[in-house]
Amino acid sequence: MRRCRYRLLAHTADLLLEARGTDLPGLFSSCVLALFSLLADRRTVRGAKVRTAEVTGDTAEEQLFFLLREALLMFSAHKFLARTARVTIKGKRVTLTVAGENYDSSRHLVDREIKAVTAHAMVVERSPWGYLARFVVDV
Amino acid sequence: MRFRDVEIRKLSDTMWEIPREGGMRVPGLIFASEAMMGDIVRDEAVRQVMNVAHLPGILKCSIGMPDIHWGYGFPIGGVAAMDAEEGVVSPGGVGYDINCGVRLLRSDLTVDVLRPKLRELVGALHREVPSGVGSTGFVRLTAADEEKVLVEGSRWAASRGYASAEDIACTESGGKLPDADPEAVSVIAKKRGRNQLGTLGSGNHFLEIDEVAEVFDEEAARAFGLFPGQAAVLIHSGSRGLGYQVCDDYLVTMADYMRRNAIDLPDRQLACAHIRSPEGNRYLSALAAAGNYAFANRQLLAHQARETFLRFLGMGPSDLGMRLVYDCGHNNAKFEVHEVAGAKRRVLVHRKGATRCFPAGSAEIPATYRHVGQPVLIPGEMGNASFVLAGSPEAMRVSFGSTCHGAGRRMSRTQARASVRGKSIVQEMEKRGVLVACASHKTLAEEIPEAYKDVSEVVAVVHDAGIARKVARLRPVAVVKG
Repeated sequence: MRRCRYRLLAHTADLLLEARGTDLPGLFSSCVLALFSLLADRRTVRGAKVRTAEVTGDTAEEQLFFLLREALLMFSAHKFLARTARVTIKGKRVTLTVAGENYDSSRHLVDREIKAVTAHAMVVERSPWGYLARFVVDV
Repeated sequence: MRFRDVEIRKLSDTMWEIPREGGMRVPGLIFASEAMMGDIVRDEAVRQVMNVAHLPGILKCSIGMPDIHWGYGFPIGGVAAMDAEEGVVSPGGVGYDINCGVRLLRSDLTVDVLRPKLRELVGALHREVPSGVGSTGFVRLTAADEEKVLVEGSRWAASRGYASAEDIACTESGGKLPDADPEAVSVIAKKRGRNQLGTLGSGNHFLEIDEVAEVFDEEAARAFGLFPGQAAVLIHSGSRGLGYQVCDDYLVTMADYMRRNAIDLPDRQLACAHIRSPEGNRYLSALAAAGNYAFANRQLLAHQARETFLRFLGMGPSDLGMRLVYDCGHNNAKFEVHEVAGAKRRVLVHRKGATRCFPAGSAEIPATYRHVGQPVLIPGEMGNASFVLAGSPEAMRVSFGSTCHGAGRRMSRTQARASVRGKSIVQEMEKRGVLVACASHKTLAEEIPEAYKDVSEVVAVVHDAGIARKVARLRPVAVVKG
C-alpha cells in the first residue's frame, strides 16, 4: 500500500490538508488517499473492489475539487472505503480508479464525519518537489 | 485594533466597525470585547466578514458575532441580510449543516434526584439515541415518507406520534419552513438522508443533561418553565447528510450561475445567485426542505430522549414533565421584515452560526413567551456551561434580529488533539463533574473545553450589546457525544 504524502495544517474550525505529488496525477491521488485516511485507517481496508469516477474541470483546482467531491461521495452515499487510488488526466478529463471495499462496522473504525470538501482557499501549485495542493474539508 | 493593513474602529465596548474598502458594498460590524477582538484578528474571520460585504444586495453591514471564527466563504458566526428583490442568496452563508440547531427540554425533576443513577441513565441515552458515523435512526423511511418529512418537518413527526402540539408550537417557524420542494433536493441528497433521520451525527453535535445552575431573569425563566437545580436536556444536531449534500449541490449550481452572470467575488465559497433567479429560487426551496428535515431530526432525537427517561425512571409523562422549551436553528436563510434606512423592507437574513432572537411582542414567538421574548439557546464548551437567553429589541435595530450561537472555536482540531495526548478525556471530564459517553474518542479529543472560547464571555458581549439578554445558565452533568 502506498503511503500518501499529506499533512494537516492549522485551521480553527475545520481540517486544512496539504498534499504533495511528483506530478499532477500523483498529487491528485495523494489528495484522494488523504481524504480516505481521514475517514479510516486504510491498512484495515481490503482492496477487493474497484470503483471509478470521472470529472472534468477547466483548471487544476476545479479538477481537484470535483474529484474530491466524487471520492467523498463514494463513502458518504455508497459507504465505500478506498485503500489505493490511481488518477489519470487527459486534457480537462480526470479519471479516478480506487480499490477498496464497503464499510463494515466490525472491521473499520470510521470515527470522523466529513461533511464536505470545500472550494475555500483551494490551491494547486508547483513546488520544488513537483506539485502541492491545499484544501479544507468541513467536519 | 488592526487586522493586517485594515484599521478596525472601536464603536463601543462591544462593537467594532471594519470600514468599507475596495469592492465592499457595506462596512463590517463585529460584536466582541477588546480581549476577544485580539483573538479574532489572529485568523481569517475578519477577512471573511469583509468578503461577505462584497455580495450583491447586502444591506447595512456584514455582521460578525462574538463567537465568530474562520469558516469557508462566510465566517462561522456571520449574519448578512440581502434585499429580497435585488440581492443574492448564498449556500455558503448558511453552511453545509442546514438548520443545524439546538433544542432544550425541561423537566419537573432536579438533578439531585437523578444523580445516584446518572451513569446508567447516560449509558441508556447513549444506547437509545443513535450517534456517530454510520448510525441509522429508528424510523425506516420510504421515499414517500422522506418527501413528507421534507415538506412537513416536525409536523410529519407529530403525524406519526413522535411530537405533541406543544412541541410544534415551541419550535421556530412551527417546525415547518414554508415553500419547501422535495423536487429541488437531489436523488443523492435524499439517499443520504433516508436512514439518518433521528441520528445525532458526530463532531460538535451532542445531547447533554444539564442542571439549571443560575437564573438571571426570573420572569423569563418562569415563562420558559425553568428553575434552579432543575434537570434539562439540550440537543444539538442538524440536517445530517441530506443537508450537507444540498449545500454541496447548490454551491456548484451557483458557481456556474456566477460565471454566466459575470459576478466576481473574492472567494469561490461565496458562490451565490440572485434570489429572484430560477437557481436562487430552487436553492431556497431545497433549503427549506433540508431545514424541515433538521426540525424532524431533532424532534425524533427529543422523542428518543424523552422515551428513554420515562422507561429508565419508570415514570409517567406527567411526573417527568419533560416539555420542549424551544428549538431554534443557527444555520439558515429566512425572509423577514426589518427596518432599513427608516423603511420596512423584506430581506433574506443569512445566519451561519448565528441565532434568530426576536424581542417580546413578535408574532413569530409562541404565545406563552410573547411577553418576554424568544428563547435563544446557546450551547457552550463541553463541561462548562450553556445559556438560555431571550430576544431583545436592540437586536432588531443593529443585527437583523440575530445573536450568537455558541462558544466558537479558538483552537484547531490538531492542536486540541495534541494538547490532550495521553490523557483520558472521559476521566478528565468526570473530575470536572461531567459524565461522558461518546461514539468516537478522536472526536471527543477535538471537542475538549479548551478548544473553545469561554461561552460566558461570548454571552456577556451579546447581553451588554443588548442583542439578547441572559435568562439562565445551565451546567452540564452528562454528555452523549457523536
